[in-house]
Amino acid sequence: MNSIIKVLSDAIYYNLIREQRYMLFVQGLGISLQLTFYSAIIGTILGLFLALAKLSKIKIFERLATIYVDVIRGTPVVVQLVIIYYAILGSSSLPKIAVASIAFGLNSGAYVCELIRAGIMAVDKGQMEAARSLGFSYSQAMTYIIIPQAVKNILPALVNEFIVLLKETAIAGYIALDDLTRAGNIIRGRTFDAYTPFILVAAIYLYITTILTWMLGKLERRLRESD
Amino acid sequence: MIEVVNLHKSFGDLKVLKGVNTKIEKQEVVCVIGASGSGKSTFLRCLNLLEEPDDGEIYIDGVSLLEHKKDINRLRQKVGMVFQQFNLFPHMTVMENITLAPIKLKGMRKSEAEEKAMELLHKVGLPDKNDQYPNHLSGGQKQRVAIARALAMDPEIMLFDEPTSALDPEMVGEVLNVMKQLANEGMTMVVVTHEMGFAREVGDRIMFMDEGIIFEEGPPEQIFKNPQKERTREFLGKVL
Repeated sequence: MNSIIKVLSDAIYYNLIREQRYMLFVQGLGISLQLTFYSAIIGTILGLFLALAKLSKIKIFERLATIYVDVIRGTPVVVQLVIIYYAILGSSSLPKIAVASIAFGLNSGAYVCELIRAGIMAVDKGQMEAARSLGFSYSQAMTYIIIPQAVKNILPALVNEFIVLLKETAIAGYIALDDLTRAGNIIRGRTFDAYTPFILVAAIYLYITTILTWMLGKLERRLRESD
Repeated sequence: MIEVVNLHKSFGDLKVLKGVNTKIEKQEVVCVIGASGSGKSTFLRCLNLLEEPDDGEIYIDGVSLLEHKKDINRLRQKVGMVFQQFNLFPHMTVMENITLAPIKLKGMRKSEAEEKAMELLHKVGLPDKNDQYPNHLSGGQKQRVAIARALAMDPEIMLFDEPTSALDPEMVGEVLNVMKQLANEGMTMVVVTHEMGFAREVGDRIMFMDEGIIFEEGPPEQIFKNPQKERTREFLGKVL
């Protein structure tokens, strides 16, 4: 019994307390959350434009958006990240977090595009006809009638995409960005203990995603009530 | 007011309209009848270019619709449309449904548009429903709001695409009454309908469509009492 307590207290001491190592987790979590936040913003804006391009009657827009989405969804995000960091933005002086936000944002945009497109297409096509018959142009009909209704369809899926995004940012360590996962790795390097830091990292991710999932549930119930 | 010349429309291999010719005069009420698939809804939807014809011409007040596709949004303001499925905007109140187009498209002030909307709601018999959302209305009420919404743009002509077909039987009357009132006020109307009683009573002219053309047309007495063609007799025999 005593030996178990000893093992646990040692694990906590070496992985968290000594040299204030818990600060690595705190800062790492901060980086992970910031990265998720910025990527989500870039991804949502990009996704909206991609979706409108994909739904557009102008063939070249539709084609380009389709190619973009296919390329992004058909290649691993970690490869996209290192290409953008080392090949495309390698010579720029942007901070790593900006580069990573752009990379994850570009990736997320492709997935958000499909969510938004599906959400828009789920709006009954009679709505567009009614709007057009009153004299609204296509873009006015989209702005006043279709998109406000599509938002309801899209929001829950979008929040879910942000949860996925938070977990995906765990590979930011590939470009030496000190996110939560890399914090665990740094501590492992100092303590030679692989279990404790990574189980802590996993627990922190789980805690955050659980909160987000709970909020998502509330949001979905709210949206359903207003129907 | 509307002239249709040799209108053709296909969906893929299916030829739906095979040369429709007609003229609709100001203040005329034209009821279009015919079996499902006879092309009557497609014909109606061509009149405001919700369906784009493959061939032929449509003139509204002498202006060719197909040559002025760029102005279609302005031209559509003159042509109100009422749909079988109502198509009210579910995220807006009744008031917002009615005032959105006049405010955004005609630049009407909000107070002015709302005043006008209240008049229209009185006209369709729903003056107390302005704050409701469409989902809280019955089918008949929804359709009456849809009529008010179309009227808010002061159209010169109203198109009705089977306006009572999605309604429970007890609600058909309230919608037809509003339409009858509109006809009496001199509105030009084209009504695709299965309500033969309404067509006979309110229609100035009945158009029987079959096989993608206007098979027979004439005043109600002629079409209903003394149809000239076998096909028309057959159809009326089934529905009357």
